[in-house]
Amino acid sequence: MIGRLSGRRVPWPGVAVLTLLVLLLPLVLPPFGVGIATEVFIMAIFAMSLGLILGYAGLVSLGHAAFFGAGAYTVALLGQYVFNTYLLLLSATAVAALLAAISGALFFRSTGAYFLMLTLAFSQVLFAVAFQAEPITGGDDGMSVVAVPDLGFGEIVGELGLYYMMGFAFLGCYLLLRLFVASPAGKVVKGIMENELRMRALGYNTFSYKLFVYTLAGAMAGFAGALYAYFNFYVTPDLLGWVLSGQALIMVIIGGVGTLLGPALGAAFFIVVQNYASFYTEYWALVLGLIFIIFVLLGRGGLMHLLRAVWNRTLPSRFREREDEMEPEEPAAEHQKERTP
Amino acid sequence: MSLLAVNGVSKAFGSLQVLRDVSLEVQPGQRHVIIGPNGAGKTTVFKCITGLLPADSGSIAIDGTDVTGMPAHSRVSLGLACTFQKTNLFSELTVEENLHLAVTARKPYRFRIWKPLSWYEDLQRDTRELLQEWDLWSRRRHRVDELSYGEQRILEIVLALASKPRILLLDEPTSGMSPAETARTTSLIQEMPRSVALLVIEHDMDVVFSIADYITVLHHGEVFLSGPPEEVRGDERVREIYFGGGARPHA
Ligand SMILES: Nc1ncnc2c1ncn2[C@@H]1O[C@H](COP(=O)(O)OP(=O)(O)OP(=O)(O)O)[C@@H](O)[C@H]1O
Ligand SMILES: [Mg+2]
Repeated sequence: MIGRLSGRRVPWPGVAVLTLLVLLLPLVLPPFGVGIATEVFIMAIFAMSLGLILGYAGLVSLGHAAFFGAGAYTVALLGQYVFNTYLLLLSATAVAALLAAISGALFFRSTGAYFLMLTLAFSQVLFAVAFQAEPITGGDDGMSVVAVPDLGFGEIVGELGLYYMMGFAFLGCYLLLRLFVASPAGKVVKGIMENELRMRALGYNTFSYKLFVYTLAGAMAGFAGALYAYFNFYVTPDLLGWVLSGQALIMVIIGGVGTLLGPALGAAFFIVVQNYASFYTEYWALVLGLIFIIFVLLGRGGLMHLLRAVWNRTLPSRFREREDEMEPEEPAAEHQKERTP
Repeated sequence: MSLLAVNGVSKAFGSLQVLRDVSLEVQPGQRHVIIGPNGAGKTTVFKCITGLLPADSGSIAIDGTDVTGMPAHSRVSLGLACTFQKTNLFSELTVEENLHLAVTARKPYRFRIWKPLSWYEDLQRDTRELLQEWDLWSRRRHRVDELSYGEQRILEIVLALASKPRILLLDEPTSGMSPAETARTTSLIQEMPRSVALLVIEHDMDVVFSIADYITVLHHGEVFLSGPPEEVRGDERVREIYFGGGARPHA
């Protein structure tokens, strides 16, 4: 990919750094840290998918866990009969995408607080179904996941195997989103967030773009949920509940709304604080809540903003990367003019 | 056949009847100006034509195609474009990014989800041409909210032109401009190629008579009079409506 970009700014040093991070992290982590990092990757995918609709499409959802839980339950339920991991992951993603497409199509007539309430209600409906359908889902107690991940080179049972599976899934999702937000459709979605009326006047079918991005985010959340089912060996209705949706919102806001990696960072922060703080105090939720308030009061940007400030100060300029921009330093048009006499 | 035909359009907001049986036509290449006092319903006519608001009754056709029930974006692909009376841009984006969004709207790759938008050479070229033509090239890296008001009004027009329309609706293009900016904008409008038909709402009579070759007078949501400029200029009743009551004071 980098080869055909000669003449353009080297893209995504962030991707290379992230890949190295995923590869090498287990070498420096304490034993129990690998499990935490694995969970971080999964929640990072989930948070990034919410960050996409929140920060790039301006859609505030309080029911994003509906798609996460739907993905998780798909693996748990279907995994009783089907064992192919690719097939299960695909099914979970498809189920979540379908749910997102249908609910999005119904809910986009409403905006703002009404949209938020509808997404919340939708996730609560799924929650109630999982809760009530006890013979199938185990109801409140949940059900265990019998499917074991196998990507074609043996069953992945060890901690490190799961770590790398989730790590690469995270990298893949990040890359996909990075491409999307810079693409024509991604830019259009951002334009709709900025000024939907103008986008309609310019000739865009704004509804279809919004539906697409919502479906993409739902699909990705479902994928994360499916991974979670493999990671946790167990699913409960909580995976569909508003608490998880709210936690994902917190991750996005702590990490940085309007950035791609911010929500992932927020997820890492959230999971680590949750794990460590719960060692020392049962009031970990309070600690997180306070941190959250501080970030909201500090304004936009979150952790990502802080990190970028440090990054830009320490790295030579040619490695600098502006979030979601892959433009050449000088407009391509000008270069072209010089070349063609 | 006329390029745009508005036929008996009515529109009410609740109990407020804003448009009553409005009909007008725009011929290819025509400079058709709509005048009328504040609140006459001029902007509402535009909204019904573009499809940003549904008309209650009546019909609208573009080049013979009935678009009455069509969504706004389909009308754009038939060659319609509009500007807004109140500047309506992507104020947090740069001038160039605004243009990118406007130009991409008619490109076949507008739905693509991988190759970065900024790599499409034709997009860069179209953007550059428009910006140079309208003297905004040097401002391309500036955020829209850093532009002067006059520049923003110009950008408003450039965005509409990016889709290469056959009919361009301009809603008070010179409102709020200084006399110098008004003069410049007027001459830019006069220089527009005749391949684009213009339907313009305008209050400034100097501007009206320097661009119009047809005028429609709207009053209380009804077409009061329409005809060539000489006819309208000489009409006593139009003066009465326009200058007698409720005309906006002009700077
Ligand atoms: N969305 C709306 N809801 C309710 N009333 C509206 C709405 N839009 C316009 N109106 C009313 O409809 C009438 C016509 O408005 P419109 O904007 O079409 O007038 P106009 O001729 O463009 O006036 P101006 O010269 O001030 O721009 C006004 O009385 C206005 O208050
Ligand atoms: Mg108006």
